[in-house]
Amino acid sequence: MTGSDRLASRVMTLVNGLRTANRWIALLCGMVLVGAVVLIIIEVLGRQFPALHLGGADELSGYIMAAIATWGFSYALVERAHVRIDLVHARLPVGGRAVMDVIAMASVLLVAILVASYAYDVLAKSVARGSRSNTPLGIPLWMPQIIWFGGWVWLTLTSGLLLAATVILSLLRRWDMVEQIASIPVETGEVQ
Amino acid sequence: MIWYVSIGLAVLLALSVPVGAALFILGFGLDAFFSPMPLMRGLGQMVYSSSDSFLLIAIPLFVLLGEILVRAGIAERTYATLDTWFSWLPGGLVHANIGTATMFSATSGSSVATAATVATVAMPQARKQGYDQRLFAGAIAAGGALGILLPPSINLIVYGFLTQTSVPQLFMAGIVPGLLMALGFMIITAILCSIKPEWGGPSRSFTWAERMAGLPHLIPVLMVFAIIIGSIYTGWATPTEAAAIGVVMALGIAAFYGAVTWTNMRAALLGTIRTTSMVMFVIVGAYFLNFALGATGLNRALSGFLEGLGLGPYGMLLMIVLMYILLGFFIETLALMIATIPIVVPIVIGLGFDKVWFGILLIVLIEMALITPPVGLNLYVVQGARKEGRLSDVMLGAIPFVFVMLVMVGLLIAFPSIALLFAPA
Repeated sequence: MTGSDRLASRVMTLVNGLRTANRWIALLCGMVLVGAVVLIIIEVLGRQFPALHLGGADELSGYIMAAIATWGFSYALVERAHVRIDLVHARLPVGGRAVMDVIAMASVLLVAILVASYAYDVLAKSVARGSRSNTPLGIPLWMPQIIWFGGWVWLTLTSGLLLAATVILSLLRRWDMVEQIASIPVETGEVQ
Repeated sequence: MIWYVSIGLAVLLALSVPVGAALFILGFGLDAFFSPMPLMRGLGQMVYSSSDSFLLIAIPLFVLLGEILVRAGIAERTYATLDTWFSWLPGGLVHANIGTATMFSATSGSSVATAATVATVAMPQARKQGYDQRLFAGAIAAGGALGILLPPSINLIVYGFLTQTSVPQLFMAGIVPGLLMALGFMIITAILCSIKPEWGGPSRSFTWAERMAGLPHLIPVLMVFAIIIGSIYTGWATPTEAAAIGVVMALGIAAFYGAVTWTNMRAALLGTIRTTSMVMFVIVGAYFLNFALGATGLNRALSGFLEGLGLGPYGMLLMIVLMYILLGFFIETLALMIATIPIVVPIVIGLGFDKVWFGILLIVLIEMALITPPVGLNLYVVQGARKEGRLSDVMLGAIPFVFVMLVMVGLLIAFPSIALLFAPA
């Protein structure tokens, strides 16, 4: 095993770890979504049977949506599920494709960094002002917002690591590995 | 500035930057170069308010509903039943493809998912019974496209969210055009296969006993559809609530067929989160770009420019339709729809057209984009499930259905009431 083999396999181990972590996070998000179903159903039933009436399912479901979509961004990223147009990409040789994959990953990192930093302002303001939601529940807004902010930080971390991995593997000319991590999957019936 | 946005978008997409990220970056650029005030300060709040939404959570719920029904084997049973009902028509099983896709569309909010499901079930039959696979595969790609027109529809939810249009009205407005298109697909299949019987396959007859025996398998799908649409139409439930009720019903159906296993549920949840996040990344990016476009006055500049052309409302509408057909050849459909809504819809409203009606027209155009090469996701999906032959077969087979969609576009423009009949403003 040469030094570059060792480096490449270490990078792949890291990426696989990242994938596993994101899969567990996505599964957790899915279970939280089921929780939202339960809340909404109770709310609907509560209109017929006042004893069941809790209120606030709409508000809580909104928070859940913000949480699962944001934390899911990273899962979609490791699964290469984000929509990319492969009109030019598909016509390039492997090296050219890898360059585009690096650009694509870097663009996600850029967006994640910017959104995460401005998301921090939103969160910090809610904490500083002690803002609460303008509803009967009166939930302190920092609670849902910190989960949402965390999702963007996690995307920054995930896309940063994937970008580093893509760059290293491209420099090592391990095109098959670059493809596994960052390329556009060929469309099959398993897309969605 | 108009050129900055259009060329910038084209370059970023050509570079294969993820569409959501491309929309964000365009927004950042508008802020840096054109905005009199710092838009970035609104970035966090924009992203938060577009994610924290009781309406948008309907998207993962409808996706989950479809994921569960697929794993309950609903599509196989529906297909077998519709085979007994429709296979005597010229074109045989092709009608069962269209029928199954239509039924499945009525519980699924996604065209790609519908096409993938029907293709997996139907393509092995084409081989077994010696069909010419072109029209057969084209019918699945086109039938699958109905998934976003017949309610529930993820694309209509997104349209409603971004343009602040009532989602219940949009859902109701999609029903008649969706059913008319399904009917049009069957008619053109029957006509083509009467003229050229070799394009279809053997017509087969079944006894009435066989036909009746399959009917109970259609009940679950029809029931889910009826309850979702009924509860929304009567105002008893919001789209999101109807989606949650649908998920519970789907679970009940899956349990009835013995499909509620850990493996199935895990796959359904993961698939749901993946699709939802993919869609949401584009939506959140579009929401920010929408804000940036509004704040820099680009929308007004563009409307002014177009009004200056003096084309009149219908001339403009024709231009817009042509633009979607053209872009639809090359751009992935959800991206096409979301990226253009902030720019196009204000113009269309300014011309005096109805928002609900335009939503339906847009969806039909988007459906066309799904089945026109070189970039038509449904074509790839069907080809992926075929595992043989060439992509160009599916492309050729889809052409008659593109024609039906064009007719539908014409009908919608000539008779807007097709869409607005059940969706009074």
